[in-house]
Amino acid sequence: MTSISSARADFVRGQLDQVSGKQALFALNNRWALASKADFANDIDVLNYALTLEYLEAAFYQQGNAAGLLSGTEKGYLATIQSDEEFHVTALFDTIKKLGGTPVEKPGVGFGDAFASRDSYLTTSVTFENVGVGAYLGAAGFIKDKGVLQAAAGIFGVEARHAAVVANLLGMPAEGGVYKGAFETPIAQADVLAKVTPFLMSQMGTVPAGGVQTGGGAAAGKDQTGMFVLGGAALLGAAGAAVYAGRHRADEATDQI
Amino acid sequence: MMADQLFGGKPVLQFSTGHDRRTFLKWAGLVGVGATFATGLVPSTAQAAELKTGILTSSKAAKAATDIDILNYALTLEYLEADFYAKGLAAGFLSGRELELITPIGDHENQHVAAVTQTITTLGGTPVAKPTITYPAGIFDNRDNFLKNASVFEELGVTAYHGQVPLITSGDILGAAASIAGVESRHAAVIASLIGGNPFPNQIEKNASMETVLAAVGPLVS
Repeated sequence: MTSISSARADFVRGQLDQVSGKQALFALNNRWALASKADFANDIDVLNYALTLEYLEAAFYQQGNAAGLLSGTEKGYLATIQSDEEFHVTALFDTIKKLGGTPVEKPGVGFGDAFASRDSYLTTSVTFENVGVGAYLGAAGFIKDKGVLQAAAGIFGVEARHAAVVANLLGMPAEGGVYKGAFETPIAQADVLAKVTPFLMSQMGTVPAGGVQTGGGAAAGKDQTGMFVLGGAALLGAAGAAVYAGRHRADEATDQI
Repeated sequence: MMADQLFGGKPVLQFSTGHDRRTFLKWAGLVGVGATFATGLVPSTAQAAELKTGILTSSKAAKAATDIDILNYALTLEYLEADFYAKGLAAGFLSGRELELITPIGDHENQHVAAVTQTITTLGGTPVAKPTITYPAGIFDNRDNFLKNASVFEELGVTAYHGQVPLITSGDILGAAASIAGVESRHAAVIASLIGGNPFPNQIEKNASMETVLAAVGPLVS
């Protein structure tokens, strides 16, 4: 039990090189233990959660690519990633409407110093994509409609591709950088929120109502302290959030397992 | 059509029991990929109809046993992938960054075999035995052949897992399958970038339809 919660904490900090087969199996068989039933009331809730993340990602690549930091093959890769994220926004938006829901509004975003250089842009991109991968996997268990599930899984896989390829552009270690072990690790909603909040905070001052805070409950209340402590440049904020999330996650894992 | 290209479209799998082979082919048919790997079966019109009926009733008939069948299908593909990378890496024509990127893929596939096997056992099922795998000549002759086949293979693996998503009934198994599928997506993207392919061929991972399978299976199975 202890080993798994510390493994999760390490994963969030990006220090976990490889999960042992035994750990992996344990994680595999407790795949949904991270998710709390209060996180999402229905499929539309999950879709709006995903839509907020995709809005954030799409805006991130629009600004990043406009900054003119890239050239050649990697410029092409990042252009494709941008259009993938824009497509995800449209697909989620339309799906929510089709299901009779109301899509959340596009959040205000700010990325601090993320576009100061090619390396900071790509490094932040890897962080974002891996959060996206974990967020989809963490939320998938809540989805009831098989069609919605299929689409969410399809988006999840594409985010994993983005994460791996951008990490490779940065020359990150294969295991622990390009790949995150033999199994993707889900990230609970509260931890995803802790990670992306700095990007939402920098313009808005508050997390948009009806946005990502879909029923965070007590956990969201706890996060408030963390959000203001984190502040600062978006990139540093993300790193800080990861450490914070790691601590939070360790507590949570202790509670839930 | 991807399946046409892998191993030159030649069958590579031989199962030790007829039951294992039938299970694999049934689910290969359902999820849309993989049937062309196996020898010795040309689906008749009657069998194709049976497969179609199976699909129509699968959502109603889905039980734990069904999930075990899907897991055994996945296990067969993972066995094939693990074996493929073991042989390819042993051939020794990768070096530097490529070697660094491909080596963990082999480890991942081995861990997938172990985890899927364990999951089947935990659920009270019987894991299929590792099939006998015979590759066509040339697959492991050089870096290009190895990586090109790896690329097709990984894309096929991604498609296979995504094809299973709506068919799996247990949330736990779905989570396990998804956590593996995401890793296969990483593999596919990295290998595509190594061979100058497109690491992001789709905005949403695709999954094959039944029609695609039935059209593809007939001419390719030996």
